[in-house]
Amino acid sequence: MVVLNFTLSEEGVAVLHDALACMFKFSDDVCLEARKDKLTLTTLNISKSAYVCFSFAANRFFSRYSFEGTPQYRERFFCQLYIRSLLTIFRARQGSGDLSRERDASIDSCDVAIDDGVGKKSRLVARVSFRNGITASHSLPYEVQPPIHAKFNKAEATNHWVISSRTLRQLMDHFGPGIELLDINTDEEARVVNFTCFTEKVQKRGALNNEAVLKKPLHTNIAVEMDEFDNVEVQDKLHIIISVKDFRGILQHAQMTSGALTSSYSNPGRPMKLSYGTDGVLCEFILMTVGEKDALTQKHKNPRGGVAKVTPAPQLDAASHRGSSVTGGNQPEPPALRPPQHKTPIRTRHPAFEMRPSPVPPPATTRSDSLFVDQDENDEQWEPVNPDEEEEEDTGRLEWNATDEPNPSTLRIGSYVSKPAETEEAPPERLASGLEPTQRLSEVRRFGLFSP
Amino acid sequence: MRFKTDLKNVRTFSKLTAALNSLEKIAWVRLDDDTVRFTVIPDTGSQVWASLSVDLIFDNYHIESAEANNTINFELPLGPLQRALKSAVGSSYANLRLTKRDGLPMLSMTIHTMTKDGNGPGPGLGGPNRATTTANADPDAGLLGLPSSTADFTQESLELTMKREREKIITQDIPVRVLHPDTVETIMQPKVREPDVHIQLPPLLQLKAISDRFTKLAVTAASSSGNTRGGGGGTGSGAGGLGGSSSPKLTLSANMHGSLRLRLTTETLDITSVWHGLENPELDPTQLAVPLEEHPSTVFKEAGPDRWATVRVDGKDWSRVLSVGRLEGRVIACFADEHALILYVYVPHVDDVGMEDVVTYYVTSFSA
Repeated sequence: MVVLNFTLSEEGVAVLHDALACMFKFSDDVCLEARKDKLTLTTLNISKSAYVCFSFAANRFFSRYSFEGTPQYRERFFCQLYIRSLLTIFRARQGSGDLSRERDASIDSCDVAIDDGVGKKSRLVARVSFRNGITASHSLPYEVQPPIHAKFNKAEATNHWVISSRTLRQLMDHFGPGIELLDINTDEEARVVNFTCFTEKVQKRGALNNEAVLKKPLHTNIAVEMDEFDNVEVQDKLHIIISVKDFRGILQHAQMTSGALTSSYSNPGRPMKLSYGTDGVLCEFILMTVGEKDALTQKHKNPRGGVAKVTPAPQLDAASHRGSSVTGGNQPEPPALRPPQHKTPIRTRHPAFEMRPSPVPPPATTRSDSLFVDQDENDEQWEPVNPDEEEEEDTGRLEWNATDEPNPSTLRIGSYVSKPAETEEAPPERLASGLEPTQRLSEVRRFGLFSP
Repeated sequence: MRFKTDLKNVRTFSKLTAALNSLEKIAWVRLDDDTVRFTVIPDTGSQVWASLSVDLIFDNYHIESAEANNTINFELPLGPLQRALKSAVGSSYANLRLTKRDGLPMLSMTIHTMTKDGNGPGPGLGGPNRATTTANADPDAGLLGLPSSTADFTQESLELTMKREREKIITQDIPVRVLHPDTVETIMQPKVREPDVHIQLPPLLQLKAISDRFTKLAVTAASSSGNTRGGGGGTGSGAGGLGGSSSPKLTLSANMHGSLRLRLTTETLDITSVWHGLENPELDPTQLAVPLEEHPSTVFKEAGPDRWATVRVDGKDWSRVLSVGRLEGRVIACFADEHALILYVYVPHVDDVGMEDVVTYYVTSFSA
């Protein structure tokens, strides 16, 4: 019996793909949860410190959506799938620019059906129709596993702010590579919200004379006026610290919506929620924040000093819905019953943070900008040639004379050029690419290689 | 020890940093009352001495040091500096000062800037387009389906687009290591004999494109004929001169009659590019140690256009050197035949016509 069946437009496929690509930055698999009114995709990262939830409204996001409760799955159906396989299916195919119908390989629509029941093979079948008339059918096995949802207590999270996701994303451009943590804090006096990026890797005081000091990554602080935010309500001087990698992953996706991103949180060591939405799609992220005491300890003390305390890393509180599906309803999370809070300061979650090798970036579509500032004006053409990375041999290298003899050449170089203005060469012409081994004479002339 | 300055010509500073960074990760910076000097000396490869007058890149410059001649020396990682300068390009104001954070010396850059394109509507999964294409014509649509908070979002985003963008203040702290004068006094700028040929190079982008092409060809040629050479054992001396697989050597020659020649020879190929009509700038006799008629370049000039001064350079290192082309200054190459190659890169001042600073490249060269 067909439990779930929905159709996506070309654009819907792209949105779904973007969402999955975002989730893939956190985890390898995704939980799909279908109800009558919405489809929810959730995932939790391996260290259980970041939870992602995308909700797609049944009547607004899909061209067609039907969920038929079965005796087995009356209220909802759930299963777990590999993100990688879904990404392959929903990958956008470029229309080749050729307008002829036969060549247009872009997606026209996509039908997804899940047929499950007693005696059935559990499969998700996605049928992608392309404009050129080809239909591709994919049949994916899935695992029936109830989703794990992170709990977030709205009532507890009294600190919150709203800002344009694009502005926020662009701020991230200013952070250098190699940083791990983002500290968000406010200064009521200066009326600013500070975003501070730092890392704790090299923090040894004794290393003053060591070159390691110079290998510390850039420490960046960005002060944003509170006026640029909406609904800022944050306790003064409160420092909340999250993983930069998670935050970047979220913003990369959020900027595509060009809407506002809402953030709410309570105290260090308690979860923080980031959310934004567009028509028919709600994106929510719950991130565990680093405990304040640990952050302070780590900032002012050598974190490696002494015996490492082995306290469990804080994780998001999770609730399996297996037993509570009847009470589920629309409410994503009921205000949770919290386990008693740890009395000892919880160590940062980072020791337990297992950083996976960064996933392959999603294919560059026109909508996904890089997280980093563009290289200005074709700068890569100045990058050194690098045909291979082998070590070079030292054969017959001529050494510079560094003795203290009077130096005849260096100090009056300016005099080599007596008439600079007249002899000035035209500014170097920019070649779009390197030179090919053979060129048309007409093309080569403009490089001045041959006299006309 | 104090150092504080406003930044100007950030783009030039940024390009210089990028050029230096392609040769070595850490630079030695020496500041005094009127000069800022960047020096990179890689273990292998060409070294650079960039002596800039303070007002090329700095404004409202203050320096205070207990050391002789009011100097400050420190080591500076170029990657973070380049990253920080990237934030400063296009900013309304930026300054730089030497400070301490957590007891460690830092070069702190403060930048006042706006984000690139503010809150302008962008392409994306949101926006009215999506609404018209996917929203079903169901009047109750808004009330169903999503948690109540969604409605708030749409309202807020409408408000937000009306907001004026504010200036942000970015602070980039670059770690530095302050150097004692004793540790740097032994580092000397290389001494070279009077050059045989001095010539203005063709546009560096052109020279670089062709040099890089030669280098790649050498690697390809070496790897395709690699089988006949007998495995990876590689007798170093034999491979080196012939443009061996690991570091192809290019032969650069110039004469005092406006020609520059770039040549690659391997076992299987021999290619040459020649430029003509380049300028051999005239020397100022008042600044020469020897009378002009006795200067080596005069000897070379009189010997005619077939008298070439030649040096061999490493293809990859040469490519890193030519990365200085992004500064878009004139480049004079000085050849000491079979001995040395020096490039003088002239960086014009933006706001002071006629003023130029010089970046000096001591290009690593190899014997035949």
